[in-house]
Amino acid sequence: MDGGRIAERVGVPLAAVVTLSLLVVMFFYPVGIVLVEAVVRDGAFTTGILGEILGSEFYFGDFARATRDPSVLWESFPDYELGLFGFTVYQALLSTIASVLLGLPGAYVLARFDFPGRRTVRSLTALPFVLPSIMVAIGFIATFGKNGVLNTVLRALGLPTVELLFTLQIIVLAHAFYDAPLIARVTAAAWESVDARRTETARSLGASPVRAFVDVIVPQLLPAILTGALLTFIFSFMSFAIVLALGGLELATVEVWVYHSVRQLDYATATGLAVLEIVFSLALTYAYLRYEAQQRAGGAARPLPRKDLFGPISLDRVAVFGYAVVATLVFVGPIASMIAASLTGPSGFTLEHYAFLVDRQATAYEFQVKPLTAVQNSIVFGVGSLLLAVPIGVLLSVVSTRGFRGRKVVDALAMAPFAVSGVVVGLGLLRGLVFGIELFGYRLTVAGPVAIVAAHAVGSYPFVTRSVTPLLARIDDAMLESARALGASRLRVLLDIELPQITPGVLAGTAFAFALSIGEFDSTVILATGGSGYTMPVAIERFLGRRLGPATAMGCVLLVVTSVSFVLIDRLGEGSGFDG
Amino acid sequence: MGSLSLAAVRKAFGDTTALDGVSLDIEDGEFFTLVGPSGCGKTTTLRTIAGLESPTDGTVRFDGADMTGVPTEERNVGIVFQNYALFPHMTVRENVSYGLKFADPPAGTTVRERVDELLELVDLPDAGDRDPDELSGGQQQRIALARALAPQPDVLLLDEPMSALDARLRERLRRQVKEIQQDLGVTTVYVTHDQAEALAISDRLAVMNDGRVEQVGTPREVYRQPATEFVAGFVGENNLLRGTVTDASAHLGAGGDEDGEDERATMDPDAVIVTVDGTTFTVTPATSGGDHGVGDDVTLCVRPEALTVDAAANRFDVEVTTAEFLGETARYYAEWCERTVVFRTPADHEGTVTVGFDPADARLL
Repeated sequence: MDGGRIAERVGVPLAAVVTLSLLVVMFFYPVGIVLVEAVVRDGAFTTGILGEILGSEFYFGDFARATRDPSVLWESFPDYELGLFGFTVYQALLSTIASVLLGLPGAYVLARFDFPGRRTVRSLTALPFVLPSIMVAIGFIATFGKNGVLNTVLRALGLPTVELLFTLQIIVLAHAFYDAPLIARVTAAAWESVDARRTETARSLGASPVRAFVDVIVPQLLPAILTGALLTFIFSFMSFAIVLALGGLELATVEVWVYHSVRQLDYATATGLAVLEIVFSLALTYAYLRYEAQQRAGGAARPLPRKDLFGPISLDRVAVFGYAVVATLVFVGPIASMIAASLTGPSGFTLEHYAFLVDRQATAYEFQVKPLTAVQNSIVFGVGSLLLAVPIGVLLSVVSTRGFRGRKVVDALAMAPFAVSGVVVGLGLLRGLVFGIELFGYRLTVAGPVAIVAAHAVGSYPFVTRSVTPLLARIDDAMLESARALGASRLRVLLDIELPQITPGVLAGTAFAFALSIGEFDSTVILATGGSGYTMPVAIERFLGRRLGPATAMGCVLLVVTSVSFVLIDRLGEGSGFDG
Repeated sequence: MGSLSLAAVRKAFGDTTALDGVSLDIEDGEFFTLVGPSGCGKTTTLRTIAGLESPTDGTVRFDGADMTGVPTEERNVGIVFQNYALFPHMTVRENVSYGLKFADPPAGTTVRERVDELLELVDLPDAGDRDPDELSGGQQQRIALARALAPQPDVLLLDEPMSALDARLRERLRRQVKEIQQDLGVTTVYVTHDQAEALAISDRLAVMNDGRVEQVGTPREVYRQPATEFVAGFVGENNLLRGTVTDASAHLGAGGDEDGEDERATMDPDAVIVTVDGTTFTVTPATSGGDHGVGDDVTLCVRPEALTVDAAANRFDVEVTTAEFLGETARYYAEWCERTVVFRTPADHEGTVTVGFDPADARLL
C-alpha cells in the first residue's frame, strides 16, 4: 500500500470526524439542548410543557377541546377554531395551493414555449432561494401596504383602496412568490424529460391530444408537482420573516410564537413549541427525501417540441401573455415597489431615505443600528460562515458519494438542517452556546457573533453539498483509474482530475452559502441581541418598526449585495446542481 | 520488455469469489484476449494486472518481477476503458499528454511532438485543441487509446473498449487497434464478451467462465478443438448432442457409404461410434479429444457449417423450422429428435432435409 492510499484511508475519515464534531457543536448539540429543555425541569423528566401545549385551545383550538369532548368535532364542523398549530398548517396548505396554481402555468411556458430570454427566466426561478425573506416582506409592504404602490394606483384611478397588510391573503401571496418558481422549475424539468415518442405512441394507438396528455404526460409530471408541493408546504410551515412582518402577532404561526416566547423570556414555551415543530417538520422532510429519492432523473431521448411564443395569435398564446402579466406583477412588483419606495417621499423623488442611512451611521446611539456596521457585519458573517460551510459541505459530498455502510445516515445528517427552522437553531445556539455550557467545572460561552456564524453555516452547508454532489457523482472510477495508470499518484489524481471537475459546484455552493448568510434573518434576529451582531436583514426589521422609507433603502442595499452573489452563482455554477 | 504472468491468482470480494485460481502466461508483444460471459472474471483479471485490484492469493509478475504491492501508477501500464474515461475538463491534447507529466517522451521528442505523433497514429491529427465532448464515441475511444499509449506502456490493457460502439465502427476500429498494436509491438491484454471479436483480433485467447480459465490457445485451436463443453458452446455456434459411446473400435465402413470418406476412415481401426437417441454417429479419434470407452456419456459437437446436405457420412433427417438469410449463406434451425440443430449453407431448403457430417469434422467431449 502506497502513501497516497494510506493518506486517503486515514485522511477522509479524519476529516469526516472533524466535520461531524463541528456539526455536533454547531447544530446537534444546540438542537439537542432545545429538546432536553422541553422535557426536563429542575433535573427531572417531565412532559408537562408538551402536555400543556397539546391540550391547549390556544395552540390546537377545537382539536384540543375534542380530546375532552369529541362532539366538538361535528358540532363546529366545518368552522373549526384552528389554534396556533392549526392555523400554521392551514396557511401552509393555502400557500402550497397558491404556489402550485401560480407555478404550473410557468412550468408550461418554460417547458413548451421558446422565446428570447427563456434561459434567463429559467435561471431566475432559482433566485427566490437566495432572496432575503425580510427584504421580500418589505417589498410586499411597499406594494400592498396602506400607502403602497397598489393603493396609489387604485387611488389614481378613482377606485376604492384595499387593506391587505396583516391579512392571510398577503402571507399566502408572499409564500407563493417564494415557492411558485420552485414548482415551475421542478415541473418544467419533468416536462422536458417526457419523451416525445411516448405521446406519439399514445396518439398512434388512438388517443386524442388531450387523452395523450392526461395518460402520458400528467403521470410524469405528478411526482414532480408533489415533490415541489411537499417542499413548499415545509417551507411555508416554517416560514418566519414573511409571517412576522406581514402578519404580525395576530396571524402568528408556530415559528413566530417561538420567537415571541423567546422575546418574552418564556423559554419553557419556546422550547416546547420548538420540539413539536421539529417533530412535525422532521416527519415532513423525511417524507420529502424518501419521495424525492424515488424519482428517476434522466433526460428525454427526444423531448417534446417547443412552440415559438411569438407566433400567430392563438388561445394558448393569449393565455400565456395573461399569465406573464400576473407573474410580472407578483414577482417583479414587490422588488420594483421596494426600489421605488426607497426613492420616493411625500413630495416625489427623494434620496432622503439613503441620506437617513448615512446620517444614522454618523449619529447613532449605542443602542441604535448603524447601517454601515450592519453591512460590515453581514459581510464578515457571510465570509465566516462560508469558511465553515464550504469545507463541511464538500466533505459531506465526498463521504456521501462513496459506497459504504451507513452512507444513508450521513446523507440524512447532512440534510438535517433542512428540517429544523432557523429560529429553533438560533434558540438552541442561544441556550446552548451563548448562555454557556458547563464543562469540567468551567463555564464555556460563545460570543453572539460566533454563534451567528455557526447558525449561518448550518443553514447553508446543505446547499454546498447539493451543488457539489452531482458533479462528484459524475466522475467515474475509470477516469481516476486511467489517471493512475498513466502514472499519477493518488494526490495528483485529486489535484488534476477530481478538484477541477467539482470546482464549478464548489464555487456555486460558495456563492450560495454567502448569499444565504447575507439574507439570513430567522436565527440572526434571535442571536443578535442588543448592540452587537446585527446584520442587514436585522437592521431592516429594526428600521421597519419606525418608518418604511429607511427600511426600503436598506432593503435595496441588501438587494444589490444579494444580486451580485446570485450572478456569481449563475455564472460559476454551470453543470452543478443548480444549473437549469 | 513486456511479458507477464499470473500464477494461481484468486480474488474474493467478501463472500463471492471473482477469480478462482487464474494462471496465464502472456508473451512479450502478444495480443492476448480474455473472453467470457459477463461476470466470468475477465475484467477482474485485467484490473488485477493493472494493480487496480490486489489479488487475495497468487502473484502477478511483469517480466518475472513480482508486482505485489506495486501501485498502478508504477506499473507502466496503459488502460483503455469501455466508457473512454477521457478527462472532460481537459482538451484532447491535454488528455493525451497527461501521462507524459510522469514519464518522459521517447528520447529526442518533445511532449508536443509525441502527442502529435499519437494523434497521427489514431488518425485524428487535428483533434488536439478540441474538447472530448465534441468528439464521437469512436473518436473518443481512439483518443483514449492515444492517451494510454503516449507514455510507452509495457503493457496495454483494453477493457471492452468497443462495446459502446456500433457494429460497423467496431470492426473498423478493431482492425485499427490491431494494426497499431502490431506496429508498436506492445504486449496487449484485451477483454471482451464478444467471442467473434476475440477470434478475429487475438494472437491467443483465454476463455473464462465462473472465475476460471477454461482454455488458452490460438483462435484456431480454441475454435476447432474446444477443450470443454463450455468453450464449445461459447465460442462460435455449435450443435451439442449428448449421447453414449457404443463402440470404440468399429470400422467406419460398417454404416457408411462406399466412397472416399469412408476409405480414409476405414483405415482407422479406432473410430468411435456414438449413439444419440438411437441414431449412431461415427467420429474419428483425431478429433475425439481423448480416450473414450464403451458406455461413456459424451457430448458430440458439430459446427453448423460442418453439417451439410452433401456429406457422405453420419446422415440424418431434420425438419427445417426457421430459415435466416444471411447474404453469402443462410442459417437453418431444424428439429431433430425433439432438439434444435443448426446448420449453415448457401442453398435454399425447406421441409425435411437430410444432413450429415464428416467424421473428422466433429469433436467428442
